[in-house]
Amino acid sequence: MMRRVVIAATAALAVSGLAACGSSGGNGGTSATGGSKTSCTYSGIQRSLYQKGVLTVATDKPVYSPWFENNSPGNGKGYESAVAYAVAKQLGFKPSQVHWAYEPFNDSYAPGPKKFDFDINEVSYTAQRAQAVSFSESYYDVQQALVALKGSPITKKHTPADLKTYVYGDQIGTTSLQFITSEIQPTATPKVYQTLNVVKEVLQTHQIDAFVMDTPTAQYIAGYQVPGAVMVAQFPSTGEHYGLLFAKGDPLVGCVNKALTTLKANGTLAALQKQYLQVYLSVPTIQP
Amino acid sequence: MSTDPGAAPGGGTGDQPGMTLGSGLGLGPQQAGSFGTTGRGPRLLSGGGRKATIVSTISTLVVLGAIGAVFWLAPGSAAFRHAFFSPSNMWQAFIGDPKKGYYSVGEAIWLNIRMFLAAEVLILILSLVIALIRQSTGPVLFPLRVLAMVYVDFFRGVPLLLVVYAVGLGVPALRLPVISYQSSTIYGIAVLTLSYSAYVSEVYRAGLNSVHQSQVAAARSLGLSQWSALRYVILPQAIRNIVPPLLNDFISLQKDTALVGVLGAIEALQAADIYASAVFNYSSFTVAAILFLVLTIPLARFTDRLIERDRRRRLAGVLR
Repeated sequence: MMRRVVIAATAALAVSGLAACGSSGGNGGTSATGGSKTSCTYSGIQRSLYQKGVLTVATDKPVYSPWFENNSPGNGKGYESAVAYAVAKQLGFKPSQVHWAYEPFNDSYAPGPKKFDFDINEVSYTAQRAQAVSFSESYYDVQQALVALKGSPITKKHTPADLKTYVYGDQIGTTSLQFITSEIQPTATPKVYQTLNVVKEVLQTHQIDAFVMDTPTAQYIAGYQVPGAVMVAQFPSTGEHYGLLFAKGDPLVGCVNKALTTLKANGTLAALQKQYLQVYLSVPTIQP
Repeated sequence: MSTDPGAAPGGGTGDQPGMTLGSGLGLGPQQAGSFGTTGRGPRLLSGGGRKATIVSTISTLVVLGAIGAVFWLAPGSAAFRHAFFSPSNMWQAFIGDPKKGYYSVGEAIWLNIRMFLAAEVLILILSLVIALIRQSTGPVLFPLRVLAMVYVDFFRGVPLLLVVYAVGLGVPALRLPVISYQSSTIYGIAVLTLSYSAYVSEVYRAGLNSVHQSQVAAARSLGLSQWSALRYVILPQAIRNIVPPLLNDFISLQKDTALVGVLGAIEALQAADIYASAVFNYSSFTVAAILFLVLTIPLARFTDRLIERDRRRRLAGVLR
């Protein structure tokens, strides 16, 4: 118990530290990251780009709603696609200058040069991950939610004690999986699958009782993808947020953070969240 | 058939005894022989005395040094070493931490071992049955022979991972009593058995074919039934011939237990993957690789010894 508190406190410190960095960069007018003065104008950022004249944005395959639509990142629809184009616009790129690259999640944090300027793939910030890559500030503050089949026991009985008795499954590498093991702490070892598709499949075949997923994805799966599935409830925030992923120490982070600050201040991010992610807003909250 | 310890000095070639005993230098022909096809056997360091030992030690150090230098002096060496060989991450991945959602890779390897042992027994049985069906001659068994052939062609031709998905996701979807409600480990063992039996049945078949037809004739002329001839004359000889290739397949099987991870079983590679993607460090994969090596190397060396013993046994006959 004590240990959990300590971890939470560390995470909170790290988050606030990151936010502080971002805001100081925003106030200073020009952001100076890594000692080199980078002007955040279109011409100023050219030399820190993967490919000159183009903003190369990476994501995994396949991509899902509501983050992307029709498995096509380049159409500007879906929350993450829209955010990427909004950031690009702030940096002075035209939509046609945004190139999409395919980057499997496991490759995105490899050391060495990256094949993209930033990766946008619902990657949660953690202090430990930030030792291997650089993250932008939050572009979405995420909460976890519980998905099960309609009429299954967990839809009725989900007190913290009840929750420990079910069999869970989740996608590998997700903070949702970590949420199950560290917050719900079920008695049965959660099953871990390579892709979200398999998780959905095993829920339908009753190999697992429920899975945990970020609320927008959970809502979409329950609403459109898995017949008979329902989003039971969402869990309180743990301070988790999604950040854009950069190569460690990439000078572009400062400029992108400035862009995100502007997008938050002028209401663009809120509007995009309303447009693409609002469906879940009246979801009950339960304790893990 | 008894092994004469003095029969093959220095693990050398029996038919050219003068060359093997190579006194003094003799490195020229020795060296050529070690790369050649004269059947030097599995010994890494051939005979040739102290000088050869010194030379081989130095050359080994030079080669290892060169490989090490590439990794140490590369521009990204520090980042590379941290990403793949960070001691703290390796230890953390090895012991795991349930509070943070890290599974212990060291604990997970036991699942690989259990799956491997269970599958191995089942494979030995199933593949023998398939091989015997394919080798049968009776006209009544024709449909079974065709079935066995199709089975072998299918499972040798389809990537193992696809079979893992097909069985692990397909069978539960059928909602049949009992068999649709097994753990992913059971489905994994079933898939490994199905797939590897196809390969191993071919090994068995080669072994059966390697026993000369005259052995069958001799056994039958002694009054043994067809079954008894198979049981007491053919199979013992066939199996002894195929032990090395059989073990070779089992080394491969040990590694392929990792594929069952895609069904949600927490085996070593899956546990490593979970750790890597949680903390963005690949050192957990290094731990898994080391554990797999610890598993497979003893079996590989054991296979080498069996091959060597078999070779000596045959040469003993030649040299008598």
